[in-house]
Amino acid sequence: MTDIEEGRPLPETPEVAHREARAAGALGVLMVVAAVVVLIDAARLRDSDDALGPAAAPTLLGILLGLLGGALAFQSRRFLRTPGSPGRRLWRLAALVVVLVAFALLLPIMGYVVSSAGLFTAAALLLGAPHPARVAAYGWTLAVVVFLVFDVLIGLSLPTGPWGF
Amino acid sequence: MGDLLNGFADALTPGNLLWAFVGVTIGTAVGVLPGIGPALTVALLLPVTFRLEPAAALIMFAGIYYGGMYGGSTTSILLNTPGESASVATALEGNKMARAGRGAAALATAALGSFVAGTIGTIALSVAAPLVADIAVNFGPPEYVALMAVAFVTVSALLGPSLLKGAAGLVIGATIGLVGIDTQTGQARLAFGLPSLFDGIDVVIVVVALFALGETFAHLIAGTGGSRVEPLRGQPMLSRQDFRRSWPAWLRGTALGFPIGSLPAGGADVPTFLSYSVEKRLSKRPQEFGHGAIEGVAGPEAANNAAAAGVLVPLLTIGLPTSATAAVILTAFQSYGLQPGPQLFSESGDLVWALIASLYIGNVLLLVLNLPLARVWVRLLGIPAYGIYAGVLVFACLGAFAAGGTIADLIVLTVLGLVGLLMREAGVPVAPAVVGLILAPLAEQQLRRALALSEGDWTTLVSSPLTVALWIVVVLALVAPVVLARRRRRVSQTLDETSSTH
Repeated sequence: MTDIEEGRPLPETPEVAHREARAAGALGVLMVVAAVVVLIDAARLRDSDDALGPAAAPTLLGILLGLLGGALAFQSRRFLRTPGSPGRRLWRLAALVVVLVAFALLLPIMGYVVSSAGLFTAAALLLGAPHPARVAAYGWTLAVVVFLVFDVLIGLSLPTGPWGF
Repeated sequence: MGDLLNGFADALTPGNLLWAFVGVTIGTAVGVLPGIGPALTVALLLPVTFRLEPAAALIMFAGIYYGGMYGGSTTSILLNTPGESASVATALEGNKMARAGRGAAALATAALGSFVAGTIGTIALSVAAPLVADIAVNFGPPEYVALMAVAFVTVSALLGPSLLKGAAGLVIGATIGLVGIDTQTGQARLAFGLPSLFDGIDVVIVVVALFALGETFAHLIAGTGGSRVEPLRGQPMLSRQDFRRSWPAWLRGTALGFPIGSLPAGGADVPTFLSYSVEKRLSKRPQEFGHGAIEGVAGPEAANNAAAAGVLVPLLTIGLPTSATAAVILTAFQSYGLQPGPQLFSESGDLVWALIASLYIGNVLLLVLNLPLARVWVRLLGIPAYGIYAGVLVFACLGAFAAGGTIADLIVLTVLGLVGLLMREAGVPVAPAVVGLILAPLAEQQLRRALALSEGDWTTLVSSPLTVALWIVVVLALVAPVVLARRRRRVSQTLDETSSTH
């Protein structure tokens, strides 16, 4: 459902609204933490002779981050104490983050084609693909096509492994 | 007009036409994938254009841009998954039409409406842009600071569910924009001693992370793989009655879209929703709204495309991006060695007019190609979600690597993707973050320049009538939503009270 006069989609169910409020609270807390980091980083900058030194913008943004983050966290404080709904597949998220980091680290060693085929296959399986062998075949095809188009045709030099692709 | 004709002469060579054709095709193919809006399409496909010479790259880029816009509306109509808030209004009636078996007519009115709006928008752009550039030549740093303040406030107020969440998105983006070496003093900010952060974080990486990885992660934890594609029956054609109902809506949508889009505020979302309410109010069949009224597709879609042309006015003449897509376009321009601003038309006039001409050519190509090819695009929607998002990840990593060129960029991509997921889950809009990322460093630069010129005197910021007017707009934009909300609450309270006394 959408409220057209307002022009904004409304949260659909209490459950969705609850989840959104919890996420907003978490984001608010994260923003407050980031605000502290930004302000500390700004404090260590050497000042210049200009009217507006290098620390002015980070200080302002740090304060805004803290205020807005605090407001978001405050708005959803009721929801932060209640336990999260189970069955949210956070472990899948963690696994995909590991896959992405592994891709970044393996890219210069294994080359673009092997790494990308692996990335596609792992991501598709985590997203719920049914046939591992078929997905791997798709992954290889996609990686090879991308390599041929971007590296060979367009000339964007992609990292190659010991086997030259 | 003569400049525009020269632009057409540049863009209409066989080689450039081929690039426009390739751009439109891959732009549509990527834009049609669910959850991928124009900004992300453009960001993902930007690396494709890096190696071309500037004119060809711009022309292909224009094709990708319009292709992405058109692909996005196809998905909104058939799948009800608008990739960007500007196509939410199209999805409202469009998806209802598709469910009622009128998907073909909805696609046709969207395509023709885009074409009409794109044509009028391009003409209006070629008239308005040089005029605005002439005025903008006289702008000093104080005017730029005030303009950017207007953009900051309106973008956070308009592009989100609430001012708080919109502002949160904007400030998150602005903070990301701080990363890197401060140009005036040479000190690194928020780089934590990491050399790869000294140059700052590339806009393409931020856009791809916040939009593409955020979306993929959201699918992953929600476990939503399958979505329902409405089958397309019949050829995408308009019956005489549909046409008669559509064309006034196209023109009204265009009339709303271009002027509002070209204000240095807000971008394309507002005109689409305005157009929807206007059509609903003017319609002879208001009861059809909510069940698939064709005017409700024709108007917002035209408004969206006209606003997309309008957004180019502040972007090209002042260097002020007011939508996520415009922010990516600005980056693309810079990577082609063009610096948008008042000097752009005098310094690289040929290229700009070639770009405007190729936007128009892209528009024509879309109409010629996409109506007959609609079935092919629909088939792309049948790709299972795991395949789409795994593929998006591969292209996201490719784009990040091409933009940055180091392994650290891929790690930054992943981290920002997690931030994007949290923002998405929290209902904090991503588009203001992209605008903040681009505009905040520019605003800082202009503010410093203004204060350096005035030797530290802050009153320089309100030294001309224009700046005073713009700052008043800033204050009004901040105060108006609060006052309106309070009044609405009071009205609904009195309504509640009167209804409870009866």
